[in-house]
Amino acid sequence: MPLLRVEGLTRRFGGLTAVESVDLEVASGEILGVIGPNGAGKTTLFALIAGSLAPTSGRVWLEDRLVSGLPAHRVVRAGIARTHQIVRPFQNLTVLENVQVAAFTGARRRGGTPTALAEELVRTTGLAERAHDYPAALTLAHRKRLELARALATGPRLLLLDEVIAGVNPAEAQQLAALIREIRARLELSIVMIEHVMPAVMSLSDRMAVLDHGRKIAEGEPAAIARDPAVIEAYLGSSAAAEVGAPA
Amino acid sequence: MTSQLAAVLPSWASRRAAAGFLVALAALAVTPALTDVYTHNLLTLTYLSVAGALAWNWMGGFAGQVSFGHATFFGLGGFIAARLLLVGAVPAWVAWLAGGLAAAVFALGAHPMLRLRGPYFSIATIGVGEASRVLFTYWEGFTGGASGLSLPVSPDLKFQLYWWALALLGVAVAGSYAIRRSTFGLKLLAIKSDVDAAADAGVSPAFHQDVTLVLSAGLIGLSGGLYASYFSFIEPNDMLGFDRSISFVLMAVIGGLGSILGPVLGAVVFVLIREYLLASYPQLYLGLYGALLIAIILFEPLGLTGLFLRVARRFGYRRPRPDLALDASAVKPPAGAAAERR
Repeated sequence: MPLLRVEGLTRRFGGLTAVESVDLEVASGEILGVIGPNGAGKTTLFALIAGSLAPTSGRVWLEDRLVSGLPAHRVVRAGIARTHQIVRPFQNLTVLENVQVAAFTGARRRGGTPTALAEELVRTTGLAERAHDYPAALTLAHRKRLELARALATGPRLLLLDEVIAGVNPAEAQQLAALIREIRARLELSIVMIEHVMPAVMSLSDRMAVLDHGRKIAEGEPAAIARDPAVIEAYLGSSAAAEVGAPA
Repeated sequence: MTSQLAAVLPSWASRRAAAGFLVALAALAVTPALTDVYTHNLLTLTYLSVAGALAWNWMGGFAGQVSFGHATFFGLGGFIAARLLLVGAVPAWVAWLAGGLAAAVFALGAHPMLRLRGPYFSIATIGVGEASRVLFTYWEGFTGGASGLSLPVSPDLKFQLYWWALALLGVAVAGSYAIRRSTFGLKLLAIKSDVDAAADAGVSPAFHQDVTLVLSAGLIGLSGGLYASYFSFIEPNDMLGFDRSISFVLMAVIGGLGSILGPVLGAVVFVLIREYLLASYPQLYLGLYGALLIAIILFEPLGLTGLFLRVARRFGYRRPRPDLALDASAVKPPAGAAAERR
């Protein structure tokens, strides 16, 4: 049984269909990369899975549990956590407190005390020295780590990462990618990641899915995705796709 | 934390704070021996206001939901208590408690409003507040309408009210610390900061705000009952008036929204201004609140508390870091680990 199963997920905003009958499966322990041009509906897809938005139609299962239709905090307690593309730390709480808020859910799901869990994750994500600082004092890379720590603190089985790597400098991007690998291995998570930084997402993902105009237009191994004419057309336009042919 | 005292204290209370709190309560409890009746009564009123401001602050300061309708709970608690006192079948404290309970239960009815945030929530509370005021004014069978209810005057009870009000104040202060320092309070602060992100962290915004509002309304309702006994006369336009709702907001904002010291200072200043200015310059006192509010919002958003901390820093006071039951050394990674990660 796949860990996550998404069936015919659709969300309309008035006349605009942001996500249109998307089917997805994520196996246990897998990293699925989700790419697509701007406005393709990637973040909306995450919001639908995480319960931040209610789907117009379609269903989401976490193993045998139907999670679509649940409010966000219930989806989190079921085992799906997300990070935000634009980081949203609690500005009035310190780094450690930020993580603690989420750790109450994680401790309930995985045992242990919230404080111990929060401290461990602050260390794991490399924020130990900033534990008592407020988010406003952090660099963007550190705030992204905070997003990651907070999501992990809920003790998820499935982690939705919305552009965790984008926007930081190359050295930090590499560290973040290494961190994601380490987390997957250590915490036995499945991860779905939206990412614009192609080298990172290509190397991290076991499998990739491509969204364009709300539809899933391709899915498969990273190498195959890079050659897929439909994907090239979505990114570069149809004439470019014809020109490039089938690049290696 | 090895002493036995520490063992009975909950995790949110430090020994020093608890000791200070008890000493202050004890000092205030014996104060009446030194004061005249006028001061005695003024202090009673001050304690009620402080308790009300603190309870309002749970919702407005901690959860970030600024209510302009808390007079509803105050009035409901007051009238329920007054009715029970008029029947005279129960001791006064039972009547007050019943008023507080009624207000707390009524607060559950606000559940659908709690999905509103910021100004939208505030506007909705104005609507509810005014609607209840009108309802109570026309409901003569229960509230006596515009002419209100008169309670039997009892100087003894009024004198004793001092200690009841002091007890209520104690509950409000302890409750504020309990909320602020507990995991519950941490979640409220998260909700205040970003309600969606809080939900994404597994915190149920609806549940936490419901509980907070019920506690806040219950305590305000209780203070409404005590207030009814204090004046021996209540009427809907005073108990549920918009002025009353605003007074809770003003006290907290003047003192410092979201802090604990703030509503206490704010309420004291508020009562003093009203007491000494209302009598001599009835037109002036609202203007003075207005000026004070503008000055605070412009120069010191943390209100009197901010001012207080600024002065305290001058004298070398350093605010303890707001960490939760945790010393920094426990967080530091082993010496090698940090270097390794770089």
